[in-house]
Amino acid sequence: MATPTTPPPGGTTAPGAAPRSGWRALLPGWSPRLGIGLGLVLAIGLFGLIGPLLLGDPDAIDNMGRTPPSTDHWLGTTQTGQDVLSQLAHATRGSLQIGLAVGIGATVLSALFGVIGAYAGGAVDESFSLFSNVMLVIPGLPLVIVIAGFVPREQRGWWTLAVVLVITGWAAAARVLRAQTLSLRNRDYVLAAKVAGERRRRIVIVEILPNLLPLIASQFVYAVIAAILAEAGLSFLGLGAPNTHTLGSMLYFAQNGFALQYEAWWWFVPPGLVIALFGCGLSLINFSLDEIINPRLRLPKAAGSGTGAVAGRSTDEAGTEAGPAPREPGAVLTVRSLDVVYRTADPVHAVRDVSLTLRRGEILGLAGESGCGKTTLAYAVARLHRPPAEVTAGSVVLHDRSGTDIDVLALEKEDLRAFRWDKLSMVFQGAMNSLNPVISIHEQLDDVLTTHRPGMSAADRRARCAEVLTLVGVDPARLTAFPHELSGGMRQRVMIAMAMLLDPQVMIMDEPTTALDVVVQRGILREIIRLRDELGFAVVLITHDLPLLLEVSDHIAVMRDGEIVEYAPAARMYRAPAHPYTRQLLDSFPSLTSARGAFVRGGDTDVPGAAR
Amino acid sequence: MTTLSVHDLVKDYPVRAGLRHSTLRAVDHVSFTLRPGRTVALVGASGSGKSTVAKLIARLEKPTGGRITVTGEDGADVPARAYRDHVQLVFQDPFASLNPFHTIEHHLTRPLRLHGRARGRAEARQAAHALLERVSLRPAAAFAPRRPHELSGGQRQRVAIARALAPGARVVVADEPVSMLDVSIRLGVLHLLARLQREDHLAVLYITHDLATARHFSDEILVMHRGRIVERGPADDVILTPRHSYTRLLAAAAPDPEVRGRSLTAEPGTVTEEDLHRSFDHYTGAWQPTG
Repeated sequence: MATPTTPPPGGTTAPGAAPRSGWRALLPGWSPRLGIGLGLVLAIGLFGLIGPLLLGDPDAIDNMGRTPPSTDHWLGTTQTGQDVLSQLAHATRGSLQIGLAVGIGATVLSALFGVIGAYAGGAVDESFSLFSNVMLVIPGLPLVIVIAGFVPREQRGWWTLAVVLVITGWAAAARVLRAQTLSLRNRDYVLAAKVAGERRRRIVIVEILPNLLPLIASQFVYAVIAAILAEAGLSFLGLGAPNTHTLGSMLYFAQNGFALQYEAWWWFVPPGLVIALFGCGLSLINFSLDEIINPRLRLPKAAGSGTGAVAGRSTDEAGTEAGPAPREPGAVLTVRSLDVVYRTADPVHAVRDVSLTLRRGEILGLAGESGCGKTTLAYAVARLHRPPAEVTAGSVVLHDRSGTDIDVLALEKEDLRAFRWDKLSMVFQGAMNSLNPVISIHEQLDDVLTTHRPGMSAADRRARCAEVLTLVGVDPARLTAFPHELSGGMRQRVMIAMAMLLDPQVMIMDEPTTALDVVVQRGILREIIRLRDELGFAVVLITHDLPLLLEVSDHIAVMRDGEIVEYAPAARMYRAPAHPYTRQLLDSFPSLTSARGAFVRGGDTDVPGAAR
Repeated sequence: MTTLSVHDLVKDYPVRAGLRHSTLRAVDHVSFTLRPGRTVALVGASGSGKSTVAKLIARLEKPTGGRITVTGEDGADVPARAYRDHVQLVFQDPFASLNPFHTIEHHLTRPLRLHGRARGRAEARQAAHALLERVSLRPAAAFAPRRPHELSGGQRQRVAIARALAPGARVVVADEPVSMLDVSIRLGVLHLLARLQREDHLAVLYITHDLATARHFSDEILVMHRGRIVERGPADDVILTPRHSYTRLLAAAAPDPEVRGRSLTAEPGTVTEEDLHRSFDHYTGAWQPTG
């Protein structure tokens, strides 16, 4: 598994979608960005390392004065006849030295204060946190001036600058590491190590630190860039250490020698360019490190030829190959031979040749385990799939109340926006957490109406919002409430109310009650079925809970590995499941009330390969 | 034979709402005993306090009141520093409870060496492989060098169970051990726990919200509601003849294809006022007042 595959939308991850881990995860994936970055940094690093050995004395004064580049002096000479190239090599070495020293120093300090404080918690964390906050606001420039006043100019060396830059530069990184450690210390695996009886020091070093390394590396790179730039700034202002060569001091002398006025570009452009290129190289490396910390950033690369929602498929082509969907009487949504592929380096055929018919007022259950493609199918039907997911074949047709058929896969921007929510709405797993926490329930419902029903008056909108809330069993007085004032079950009801606002003909519900308690789940299902009876919309109910579907839905489709293995009326599926996989799923749920003999706690058979 | 007893366990969490300080009682005077070879199921909705009980037993939280005592094979109380040799926890989410950075072998050899069950690298490795064999991850040599992300959810949970056994634990607290797994592999993991229990004579606390598996995989069921145990008794008695209105509510809410077409519009019922302050014990057949 060299490249990570893209997790399908909606949180259910396909097998193999897990992030890379271990030492390999600490190495960024290869990309042109990383290549260019590494190339720049290595080239400049080598120049700083070897250059001073090959090129002459940077301080050798010659009375030839300021001369443009020539074969003797590739980058010309300064006002005092010093060779610019030789100066540049020494200055690069000086700047890198400071950058590296400050990078290491700041990283060690930030790790010490950030990680240890966050893990220890309590008073230690409070005091470490306070200390880093104070350090964060100490400005570097005045501190350097103060220190410069204390340390005589002759004794000021490059290390003086380095120490000052470390002191003023570690605090921000400490705060970042503290936040990450706070999140890591409550992970189950850290708790598990605690339960196993590990010592605190070992938990920090063995369990937490390795997972922080990418972050620490990126903070280090950032500290190096910041140090080189800060040193250049300070030296340019004449606050640097004398008798040292840094890129900043080179610019300082160029400025003092009126290089700009004399148009001696060869004197000030090279050091500026080296700073810019080095910073650019380190930033590119940092982007690659960021990809380790946040694998989402890698998606665009994995998308390959991601060219929009229906890439690789023209509408008329699909129309001919799948044939016009034969319209069953009473059907509201027809899916014919739908194929969805994740176009990653290792393409995943997430949905294969799926055909479904949803009748008006029907509850269609879609059962399957994680990674079986049920969520991908729902997203594709609602046209919510994003690259690298692609619909490669098949058709989705909505038979509108008005009698017209809508080819869902052919819809373009405006039509698609109008179609979604108006004709077909969705409720996702954990949708209750997608309410905006700072806006009242009423405003969020109202927003949907103002977008889709521009002609509606404010009073009508308010009445409609109150109406849908009543429908789902929430007191309309709660309209002014904010999401955090409602329980999880109430929020999920609000989401269902929002999905019903525009009186859609189809509602797709992806695990709408999985995150809720059984008692609350029962209440919401009752609500959905009652509303279906009253309003006559059709529901696609996606869940892994087969007994639930057997009880409430009319038809059930069982999915495995992207295919529908069995599609039958619920009653028949319960009485006589045809496919072995359906039987296996059914057997996975022991009955609550049947006799004990039907299910005996035996212990597993303990045969090799039995473990999945 | 190790027995774990919980007496009058209480856990309060401070709640800060603006300037007001109050406490939330997550666990309210809970008592029960885990005996070798027996499984006790603790069922309840999320927020009922059942996971807090797990954390208290695993010593990840300190109780506000009450005692947890472990009695060893010799009949004497186990001293505090040996507590973790005897009591281990299996976490709910196998995707979060294994460190993505470390190999499977590392996850097992650490507790083995920490609790003096193996000396030296070779011996620890051998013991780790034996543990993997016991949880049916075969061949062990193929699983040991892998990292958690290379394993399926069920395999990870098997590793987590092996890790709990590594210190030689005789009391295992399984906090929703299968709720994050795919349905078709849940029973396999539960059967594994049952086999290990039989082989090692383990005392198991099985925490779950699923009444059906609680009934089939345990001897005794405790129903928890708002931090209190509202009904207790032999598994079949509690499920088939529930007395407390909350247990009835839970049982009625569970999906059941047998009663397909039952009126979903009927009210599911509520917890009656008088039941809020009493609990039913099937062993004595009597109601007891709580709080």
